[in-house]
Amino acid sequence: MTIFGFLIKSMFRRKLLVTLSMLSLTTAFLLFILLRSVAVLFSGDVIDVPDVRMQTNSKYAMIFPLPHRYGEEIAAVEGVLAVTFASWFGGTFREGDTSAMTFAVDPSTYFEVHENYQISTEHLEAFLGLRTAAVAPEAIMYRYDLEVGEKVPVTSSIYPNTNGEPWTFDLVGTYRSENESEAAFLPFLFHYEYLKEASGESDVGWYTFTIEDPDKATEIAQIVDSKFENTADKTKTMTESQAFRNMMEQFGDISLMMNGIIGAVFFTMLLLTANTMIHSYRQRIPDLAVLKTLGFSDGKVARYMIFESLLFCTSSAAVGIGIAVATLALIGPYLPSGFVLIVTWNTLFWGTCIAVGLGLFIGLVPAFSANRLVIVDALHAR
Amino acid sequence: MALVNLESVWKSYKKGRDRVEVLNDISFRVNSRDFVALMGPSGSGKTTMLNLIGGLDRPTSGVVTVNDLVLNNLSSGKLARWRSESIGFVFQFYNLLPVFNARQNVELPLLLTKLGRKQRKKNAALALDIVGLSDRARHTPARLSGGQQQRVAIARAIVADPKILVCDEPTGDLDRSTATEILRLLQILNQEHDKTIIMVTHDPKAAEYAKRTMLLDKGKLVSRLIQPDVEAEVEA
Ligand SMILES: Nc1ncnc2c1ncn2[C@@H]1O[C@H](COP(=O)(O)OP(=O)(O)OP(=O)(O)O)[C@@H](O)[C@H]1O
Ligand SMILES: [Mg+2]
Repeated sequence: MTIFGFLIKSMFRRKLLVTLSMLSLTTAFLLFILLRSVAVLFSGDVIDVPDVRMQTNSKYAMIFPLPHRYGEEIAAVEGVLAVTFASWFGGTFREGDTSAMTFAVDPSTYFEVHENYQISTEHLEAFLGLRTAAVAPEAIMYRYDLEVGEKVPVTSSIYPNTNGEPWTFDLVGTYRSENESEAAFLPFLFHYEYLKEASGESDVGWYTFTIEDPDKATEIAQIVDSKFENTADKTKTMTESQAFRNMMEQFGDISLMMNGIIGAVFFTMLLLTANTMIHSYRQRIPDLAVLKTLGFSDGKVARYMIFESLLFCTSSAAVGIGIAVATLALIGPYLPSGFVLIVTWNTLFWGTCIAVGLGLFIGLVPAFSANRLVIVDALHAR
Repeated sequence: MALVNLESVWKSYKKGRDRVEVLNDISFRVNSRDFVALMGPSGSGKTTMLNLIGGLDRPTSGVVTVNDLVLNNLSSGKLARWRSESIGFVFQFYNLLPVFNARQNVELPLLLTKLGRKQRKKNAALALDIVGLSDRARHTPARLSGGQQQRVAIARAIVADPKILVCDEPTGDLDRSTATEILRLLQILNQEHDKTIIMVTHDPKAAEYAKRTMLLDKGKLVSRLIQPDVEAEVEA
C-alpha cells in the first residue's frame, strides 16, 4: 500500500455517496464545457478577420438587397482597391436539414477581395470557366460528403427553381481560409450570373471591398454611405470584423444566459459537494482519531483532507471535461455550418481553476476540523 | 531509571463550568519488560492514565517521563512522531479502519516510516504471522470475528516494534476463551518479544496474566499487587 492508495481508499469509505457526488460533479463540468463553448460562439470571440476588408450592407437590415450599380460607385472611392459582391442564397443540401451558407458571387472578383482564401489555380480556372460551377469549403464538403467533380443538388426557399426541382451545381473545386478560426464560417460559392439568368434577380445582397489603409476604414465608410444617403437604398458600411461582432452581439444575451446557467450549476455543486465532504468527514472522525493515535500528525491529517477533496474535484473535472471534448468532436460535423463549438484554452483554464478552487474550498472545513480534532475527546465520545 | 515514570501527576477535565478531577497526585513506575494490569471501577481514571502514558494527552500538573523523555514539553507534532515510534495501542473495540484489509490495517503505522513499499508489506505480513492471522491478511474487519480483529489490532500495535504496548480493556468485548487467547498472545509478546505492557482491565482473571496489578480508585492508586507466580498458575 502506498500513501496514495491509502488516500484513495479512505476517500471511498462511503462508496455510494462519494461515487454519486463525483458523478454529479462530472456532469457539472461536462455542462460547463458545453455551455461555455456555446457562450464562446455567441460572444464572437472565435473569429479574427483582418481589418483590411469592409462590407457595405443595406442600412435597414443586413438581408435587404442593394442595387447592382453600387459596385462601380464604391470602386470609385479613393483608397478602395477591389470590390466584389454576394447574395445570400440559403441553400439546403440535404432534405430536412437547415440551410448552409451558400452565396451567389462574382467568381473573378470574389477571390481577389478575399485574398485570405486559398484556392488552386486549377480549381479557380474551372470555377471561372463554367456557368453552373461551384466551389465548396472543406467543412461543407466533409459535412455533406461531397467530392470534386460531382453534381450537387441544392434547394433554396429564397430562390425556388421555376420547375420545382433543386438547383444543380457542378462542384469543380474546393477552397480554404488561411485563418483557421474561420474554417466553419466559409460559404459554398457559385456564379451570380447563373442565379440572375435563372431567377431574374438583379439586386445583390452586399458588397465587400478591400482598402489600401486600414486606418482609413472609418473615413471610407463615411464616404461610401454618404454617396447613397439620398437614395431609397441607404447603406451601412463597416469593417468585416465589426460586422461579425455586430452579428454576434445580437446573440449577446445567449452568452450571458449560458454564463448564468454555469454559475447556477456550480453554486448547486458547491453546496452539494461541500455537504458530501462534511458528511464524509463526520463519519470518519473515529478513523481520523485512530490515525492520530498511531502517530499521524495534525498537519498530515489536515493535508489528507485537502488532498482528498482536491482529488475528488479534479478527477471529476478531468472526466467531465474529457467527455465534453469528445462529445464536441463527435457532434461537430453534424452541427449547422457556422455553428462551431470549440473548447478554448480560456475555457480549459477556467475549468481547471474552478476544479482546484472548489477542491480547496470544500476541503477547508474538513481539513480545519481534522487538524483540531483532539484524540482523547474523539475516542471518549465513542 | 524506570521505563515509564509518572511523578505527582494530576489531571482534570473541564465540563462546562466545572472541573472534573480525574487523577489526583499519581506517582507510578513501570520497568522495562514489565506487564502491569490496571484495575479499578468505571470512571476511576484508568483510560486517562493510559492516555498520559501513551502521549495522547498531557497532565494538568506533574511529570510524565517515558524512556527518559519528558512528554509534557513535546509539541503535538513531536508527540505524534514519538507515539508512532515508541507506543503500540490496543483498544477495547479494536479501532481498525473498515475500508482496509487486515494487512493494510497493520501496515498503517509503517506509512510514517522510511521503509519502502515492499519492506512495509513484508513487516506487516510478519506482524500478522506473529499474532497467527496470516491466512486472514486479505479480509476486511467486517469479515473477521472480534478475537481476530483484536489480533489484527495487536499486530498493528507491534508492527513498528515499539517498546511499550498500552492496552485499554483488550478483552472487554470478547468471550472467555477468545479473551484467553488474546491474553496468552500478550503474554508471549511480553516474555518473548520483550514488550512492556500496561493493560487496563475489569476482569480479575485477565489481570492474572500480568506480572503485577495496580488498583486505581477515584483518581488515586490504592494498592500494588505483585503476582510473581501468575504464569505458573495459568499454565496449570
Ligand atoms: N476527554 C474527556 N473529556 C472530558 N471528560 C473526560 C474525558 N475523558 C475522561 N473524562 C472523564 O474522566 C473520568 C475518568 O474517565 P476514564 O475514561 O479515565 O475512566 P475509566 O477508569 O477508563 O472508566 P471505564 O472503566 O468506564 O473505561 C470520567 O468521569 C470521565 O467522564
Ligand atoms: Mg476506560
